This record gives sequence, C-alpha cells and structure tokens, in this order.
Amino acid sequence: MEFLLENILNLVGFLVGLGIGIMSFIGFRNTGSPTLFRLTIAFFSISLGFFVIWAGYMAEDFVIKAGHIERWVQTLGIAIQTVGYFFIAFSHSIKSFFPKSSYFRSVGILPFFLVSSVQLEHLFRSVSFILLAYGAIETMLSYIDNRNKGAISVSVGLALLALGEFLGWYSFVFPESILYPVSMVIKIGGLIALFIPVSKVPLTKIKFDEGLE
Amino acid sequence: MAEYRTHMKIIGDILSTTRDDLQDEDGATVTYLIRKANISHSRISRILKTLVSQGLLEQVDSQGSNKYKISQTGREFLQAYYKFTNFADNFGLSI
Repeated sequence: MEFLLENILNLVGFLVGLGIGIMSFIGFRNTGSPTLFRLTIAFFSISLGFFVIWAGYMAEDFVIKAGHIERWVQTLGIAIQTVGYFFIAFSHSIKSFFPKSSYFRSVGILPFFLVSSVQLEHLFRSVSFILLAYGAIETMLSYIDNRNKGAISVSVGLALLALGEFLGWYSFVFPESILYPVSMVIKIGGLIALFIPVSKVPLTKIKFDEGLE
Repeated sequence: MAEYRTHMKIIGDILSTTRDDLQDEDGATVTYLIRKANISHSRISRILKTLVSQGLLEQVDSQGSNKYKISQTGREFLQAYYKFTNFADNFGLSI
C-alpha cells in the first residue's frame, strides 16, 4: 500500500512539476520575465526531485529488491525538491535567506558534513515545510490584493504540500503508523490543487520568438 | 500608496498604449507615452530604444517628430504578456 502510494505520489509530483515547469519556461522564453525564470527552476527542481525518488523505488523494486529504498536516494530527492520550494519562496521576496557574511556562509554548510543522511532527510523536510508554509501564506495574501481565484487553489496546494511534508517528517516518531501514507495522500491532493489553475491557462498561439531574448 | 510596477509591467503598459490608445494613425509621441505610462523621460527613452531594437515597436518619423507604433511581434509579445501575467498571478507573483 505504502509502496503504491509512494509511486503514485512521485509520478504525480514528477508530471505536475514538469507541466508547470514547461509552462513557466515557455512564459520565460516569450517574455524574458525573471519571475518566470525562477518558477521554471523551482518546478523543474520539484519535478526532478520526485523523479529521483520514483526512480529509486523502481530500482529497488526491479533490480535491488532489498525491501526498502536506499536512504541516500530519498534524501537526494527531497533535497532537490527543497531547492524548488526555496525558489518558490524566493520569488515571494525572501531578501536574505542566506547569511551575508562569508564566515557564516562557510560555517553554515558545516552541519551537512556532521549529520547522517537520516538526519539530513529530516533537515530538508523541515526546511521544505517552512518554505512551503511561507509560500502558501504569501500566495493567500496576494489573493486578498488581486482576488485572483487561481491563487486560492495554489495557496491550498502549497499548504497541503506543507502539511504533507510535516506529517512525513513527524511519522519518524511513529514509523509503522498510518501517518506516512496519510502524508502522501495529502501531498498528492496538494499537487493536484497546484495544477488546477495552471491547467486553465490557454497556451494557444503562444510561440517561441528567438528575437526576444 | 503608489503601486510598485515591475520593469515588465511598465513595458506592458507602454505596449498596450501603443496598441489600444493611440493619438492618431501615425503612432504615439514620447510625451504622450510619458503621460500614459507615468514614467520619466530618461527612463522611457531607454525603454523605447530597447523596444525598437527588439522589434516590438516601430519608430515612425512624422512631421519632424518621432512617433511609436506597436509591431506584429509587439502584439504577439503583449498577448503572451497578458497570458503569463495571469499565470504568475495564480502563484501570487508579478512577472
């Protein structure tokens, strides 16, 4: 059951991320907008992150057959997704996410060498949760400004992804409980909510124009 | 409070003025565009130069003064601009 849900989640995540990423890329190529460029990076990263985990499960199921996915593959996939969530949050004007001092920057990377991949996974999940929650709140605030109904769906999608990420992280306290499958179902719901308004954007008559770059 | 406009939004405003709100068939003068787009002369001069070089606007010499008209590429750009503004709005962002 858990294996099936993982596969559905990662495939849906891969496809939704790829779809929105391609749409953002077309928008960037047509308008040269830096916002659309950041969204392109964000959603291609999210898509790649889900793909890595999905590929890990496939490799485990058909080749390795160890009964569990390699921990580093899961950590790598979640880390790549976190990069995508960072760019969504960054688009909402996180001005100084990283410390400005070069000393703090060099120290800031130290924890990555001091913790195991299990702890890294928890670290990435909690960072993802914060970034997703921030993105959901900012998107909801923008709805109050411009009353664009699509923003509600995106905000709910990001909030569900945040909740799913939180439950996925919290499930390590109760490893065999229903928490982890529930977190995956919530994340699938979040990805679908994210894609609903984007799927309504008409792309007819949009074409690449090399002269605009 | 004045609304902050991105560079892209200013370009969108200039192009939509030259498409929908022309003074006459020859095009719009710089003074007219300054008033409609609400930006300074030095800034609009730079933007107009870029838009003409990119082929989004056509510069027309009319009775000794320069006038600007939107080109076909400009119309396509504006169409894409509106579509992707809506797309970015869904994420609570401005392009």
